[in-house]
Amino acid sequence: MATVFYDKASVSVDWGTVGETLLASDFTVNLSSSAQPLYAIGNKGSLGQFPTSARVGDVSFNFITSLTGGHYGQRGNLINFLASGIKHSVGSMASGVTISGAGVKGIGFLNSYSFNVASNSISTSSASFTFFGSGTQLPVSGRLTDSTAVPPGGGAELATGVAHGRYTPLTTLQTTINPGGGDAQVGTVFGADYSISFNHNPIYKMGQEFPVTSLYTTAQESINVTEDIFQSGLAFDETASDYTIDLHGLDTASTEDKMQLKMISGKQVSTSMSAGLDDIVRSQKTLTASY
Amino acid sequence: MLGRIRREAESIAINGSGIQGVQSISANYASVAQPLRNLGINSIKYAPQGPQTATLDVSNLLINTLPDSAPATSKELMQNFTGDIAFSGVVNHGTKNFIFTEGYMETYSVSCAIGQIPQVSTSSVIYGEFGTGTLANVPTDSFPSVVNIPSYSSMEINLDTFNTNRVSSFNVNIATPRLPLYAVGNDVPTGVIAGTPVEVNVNFSIEPDDYEIKNMRFVPDQTVFQNTVITLKKNNSDTTLLTYSFNDMLLTSESFQGGVDSSATVNFNLRSFILR
Repeated sequence: MATVFYDKASVSVDWGTVGETLLASDFTVNLSSSAQPLYAIGNKGSLGQFPTSARVGDVSFNFITSLTGGHYGQRGNLINFLASGIKHSVGSMASGVTISGAGVKGIGFLNSYSFNVASNSISTSSASFTFFGSGTQLPVSGRLTDSTAVPPGGGAELATGVAHGRYTPLTTLQTTINPGGGDAQVGTVFGADYSISFNHNPIYKMGQEFPVTSLYTTAQESINVTEDIFQSGLAFDETASDYTIDLHGLDTASTEDKMQLKMISGKQVSTSMSAGLDDIVRSQKTLTASY
Repeated sequence: MLGRIRREAESIAINGSGIQGVQSISANYASVAQPLRNLGINSIKYAPQGPQTATLDVSNLLINTLPDSAPATSKELMQNFTGDIAFSGVVNHGTKNFIFTEGYMETYSVSCAIGQIPQVSTSSVIYGEFGTGTLANVPTDSFPSVVNIPSYSSMEINLDTFNTNRVSSFNVNIATPRLPLYAVGNDVPTGVIAGTPVEVNVNFSIEPDDYEIKNMRFVPDQTVFQNTVITLKKNNSDTTLLTYSFNDMLLTSESFQGGVDSSATVNFNLRSFILR
């Protein structure tokens, strides 16, 4: 038995020589072994339960969108760096990253990553990974134990290294409608939700439970933007645009207090508007991209 | 030597107009900064969570009115802010002061009882700046208010039941909902919408003679709609200063109190909603 209070259950992500402890608000690990009973004529009951596929695990966690990291020249947290690296990778070989929390860890492949930005609010992110294991390596290992190496410090300070809606204008996501005649309209952005999901293909071989490697196949990316403008003229063609999002923290004077990501060849695929009591009519558009 | 600040060193001005007859001022803000909490927390770091606003409550005797030449809807200065107009101002206390900008009134009430001068109470939300700073582009009052003191003894209340039943106090309350719109990248609203409908409640306390408590069931033949007109006149004169007039107010509550050493009293509430 181990009693681990939340203040000793930090969540860390390590890839190669870089690592980062995230400001996670929760952390869930699952490990499963699928088994199926076998039946045979002449036997009452089952012959036993036998494995039908390799043991796999998964981990998911929500965290405050931190900006303080810097990985290979890219500002922002390590999860954002991983997502960017995978979606822009030219090869299909994927290397997992080590996810650990409260003494339990595994090598995971990023399934999905998302964050939101809303006015006057701290941005929060979420991520999920799948643990396939590798060779003879189990998907998940370890046991519950304290995982915080840095002792508590005294004093208090401003949280400058987190993305905040107050300092993130998202002007690149504004919808502009310009029918000409000086009647242009520019939307006001009230918030945005970003998400990306990845598909991996673990390669299994006879004589070995865990895959020899995992291949990255495709990724789907989307941004939902909440505004006060309705774009009824959705294009029915193949045009697309790049969208760059800059997330900023409280330290507006610092050039390092930001995180950037770029959607390549994004296309607006939907627009909607909704009205409710005691509120203005708000609209939402969805931009998607595939890799 | 310890100093103190008394009423003679305190004042409030809104949009350049000094508010007269102030009985109390209450202004406050509560920081929205919250500590971040995370698994493995090992330090305390603060970040703002939610929009920062302040509140301003002012209570003043109704002893001044705007002149007829003032381009205002109401002769009572504060009542003009129940619409969609924002206000800025400054509160002086001793040698110090603090400012507020983008104030929007949320409740306005006027009340009076026997032996009293009508009193106006307002509650506002400050969406702009609050505290230190300087005001810029504040309109100055080119229509200074003039002293006009109404009295309980010179007002008129136009309600049928008051011919034989004596009003001992009344209260008019106007609630004006606000909807601030916050875009990303800003800590002040890009706009504040004056919500609708505006809820008006008028409460009367009377000493009844032949007043009859209604049936509480909300049935058509027992439902009471009344027009209410309260006219404030200058003390000891027939000069009308202000009129509070509301149509089709629904009787929503009644209460009866009797006691061994007092006259029976009845309190009732009338409510209406005004669409902007």
